[in-house]
Amino acid sequence: MVTPYEKTTSLAGPASRRSFLRSSLATSAGVAGMLLAKTPPAMGQDRELRLITFSHFVPTSDEELKRQLEEFGQMAGVKVRMDRVAHLQLPAVLASEVQGQKGHDLTSLWVGMPDLYKKHLVNLDDLVEKVGRRAGGLTDNIVGRDGEGHYRAMPWFFISFPIAIRTDLIAEIGETMPDTWEDVRRIGMQLKAKGHPVGIQLSHSEDANHILRGIIWSWGGKLVEADGKTVAVNSPETVEAYKFIKALYTDAMEEEVLAWDDRNNNVCLNSGKCSMILNPISAYNSARTDNALIPGTERPVHQVINHIMPPAGPAGRHMSAAYNTIGVWKFSQNQELAKEFLDFHFQKDQQEKHLTASEGYNQPLMRAFSMHPIYASNSKYYFAPYIGWYTHAPGWPGTPNAASETVWRQFIIPDTAAECATDRLTAEQAVKKAEMQMKRLYRRHS
Amino acid sequence: MAISNTKEQVLVGRDLTAASRQRWRRSFGPDLDGFGFILPAVIIMVCLVVYPFFLAIWFSLSDAVIGEPGRWVGLENFMYLFGIMYDGQDLPWYLKFTGFSWDLSLADDIFLMTLRNTLLFATISVVLKGVFGLGAALLMQRATRMRRFVRGSILVPFVAPTVLTTLGWWLIFDPTYSHINWLFANLWPLNLLGLGPFQWLGNPNLALSSVIFVNFWRGMPFFAVTIFAGLVAIPDQLYEAAETDGASTLRKFWHVTLPLLRPVMAVVILFSTIFTLADFGIVYVLTRGGPMNYTHLFATYSFTVGILNQEIGLGAAISLFLFPILLLVVIFQLKMVRKETGYGV
Repeated sequence: MVTPYEKTTSLAGPASRRSFLRSSLATSAGVAGMLLAKTPPAMGQDRELRLITFSHFVPTSDEELKRQLEEFGQMAGVKVRMDRVAHLQLPAVLASEVQGQKGHDLTSLWVGMPDLYKKHLVNLDDLVEKVGRRAGGLTDNIVGRDGEGHYRAMPWFFISFPIAIRTDLIAEIGETMPDTWEDVRRIGMQLKAKGHPVGIQLSHSEDANHILRGIIWSWGGKLVEADGKTVAVNSPETVEAYKFIKALYTDAMEEEVLAWDDRNNNVCLNSGKCSMILNPISAYNSARTDNALIPGTERPVHQVINHIMPPAGPAGRHMSAAYNTIGVWKFSQNQELAKEFLDFHFQKDQQEKHLTASEGYNQPLMRAFSMHPIYASNSKYYFAPYIGWYTHAPGWPGTPNAASETVWRQFIIPDTAAECATDRLTAEQAVKKAEMQMKRLYRRHS
Repeated sequence: MAISNTKEQVLVGRDLTAASRQRWRRSFGPDLDGFGFILPAVIIMVCLVVYPFFLAIWFSLSDAVIGEPGRWVGLENFMYLFGIMYDGQDLPWYLKFTGFSWDLSLADDIFLMTLRNTLLFATISVVLKGVFGLGAALLMQRATRMRRFVRGSILVPFVAPTVLTTLGWWLIFDPTYSHINWLFANLWPLNLLGLGPFQWLGNPNLALSSVIFVNFWRGMPFFAVTIFAGLVAIPDQLYEAAETDGASTLRKFWHVTLPLLRPVMAVVILFSTIFTLADFGIVYVLTRGGPMNYTHLFATYSFTVGILNQEIGLGAAISLFLFPILLLVVIFQLKMVRKETGYGV
């Protein structure tokens, strides 16, 4: 039986008012000291390596990345943590971390961000050289660099934009696979008449930014010169490209593309409506995973989807891609540890496991990894090892930089192209408008 | 004796303390305790409202970017938005007010579009909320059955999380599989009208109308419930007196209900105008400012410029642009609230 007195008595005896005050003062002084010194107590100083990335479209890719982080943590004897955010939320999360100068150690970055955040990212020139030499070099020499040419992030992987096309519909109208953009328009016009339009976003979406840049490049146009500073969008080539976009929209697409996000074209293809879209292999993969059927039949739609190279224009075959990089924040307390993890993660074994887990979605930027067996495992992935030949980062032929990133975020190309396609502006006016808007942004970022 | 001495000392000490406290209290007025009571609220207001507000003003007058403090640039951010150039840096101080040139073609045309959208969005939405909110309040007052259910259920759009309900509307307006378009195509007798399919989020005018409608749908219950509270507070005697004088229902509404609701209406319109002008979630979820920037509002555009593009100074200038106008609205509305109704109640 425990009496009430015994319940409140500690081993050291009852606390007097004086001892309570003493211990309170000591605790307050300790907390104040820690706050002033900005140093946690010894028991709170366990090192933790933290990584933030966007929620991958293939969840197993994130699972593999987390596994590698944990394996590294065990080897290095540190705690690890991986956080994920929706891909559209990543820029806002990174901005808040930079503004607060605290957060994760390692961060996933999009292509223009190494330059946008160059003052806050650790220089990784040495690590890129080391890893690059080990992996036979890089397939792209500008991704990850800032405006001065220093690597502020490791080139990680790219997500390419082939055409995902319904082969059964092409066969029905007795056509062959489109090779040029003009083929896409011609075939798309026939298929639209049969209720199967082409699906390319002309909206505030990432896909629209990629694909429309690809069309401009394929006509010989460019947004900026190779110096990455001189706006060069207003050219006869870009005007012709805009005229083609209008023709493609009028002849082969429907108004809904003006409101599409990055998900809608996948839905359109997998529901059996769209005849072709430009999209990473996620549309095909989700059709396979969901076992989506062609409406009115028992035939899975993934069986009749194939991927082909992005179409060629008068100036050749060019397409943009979602380039991903990974960097280390300067405010990180674990910079060396973070670089060690990157060294570990970019070893051949780990890269291959990451690529396999992503079902081929994470296309490597290191030469030694680009001919991965997964691309031979499915005939629908045949394009993957070669599409890099035609793929450029946004900002091409210049280096992706803060200005090109703001042009991207303000959807200047999709908006002006949509205004041209919907007859609000002529092609010349739309291109002129894009030039004015771009020059304003480049002037601010120069 | 010793005890009485101690008592005296204590009493004298008490008297001295009390006297000094009284003097202190006199110098600070009679509400000294009141200051203590409101202190926590003042601290919270200063930390969460005053400090961020002045920080935003500082940002708007600086060239701050994310992660860097920035330096004072005066009104340069505001001038940039309107295409106003200044080349008078080398002029002597007494001529600094010259050297400005204005070229509207250099203005930020997305900002000008945002200005137009925001004014249309706020005006139409607040008017709709006011009219339908008043109607709903009058219906609630007259409801005889299921009163509690009606009063509770009308609040659902207002209390449900904005992002969640807007995601619901996003599916309803889906470009490919809009529920409304499906109804137009498949539900008798709507299918006989041959309407649609409409691009609710793809057509610029429909997209702006859609985001206005969702804002109206979400904000109307706030009007309805607040006006309903105002209706309940109107004394019955006034209606009885009007009836005695032979006033019709319309006259009672016009000469009794509306004038007495004026203070409530003024406050609710004031709050709603502020909330509507600052709306972010609805547009961000439904359109992200598209198509072709026809639905960008100050909040979404300043988020794009200030957070995504790093230019927090310019972003703050965009979001603070309407502040002077809002201030005038607030002053006008508060004056209206203070106006007496003249009914002697």
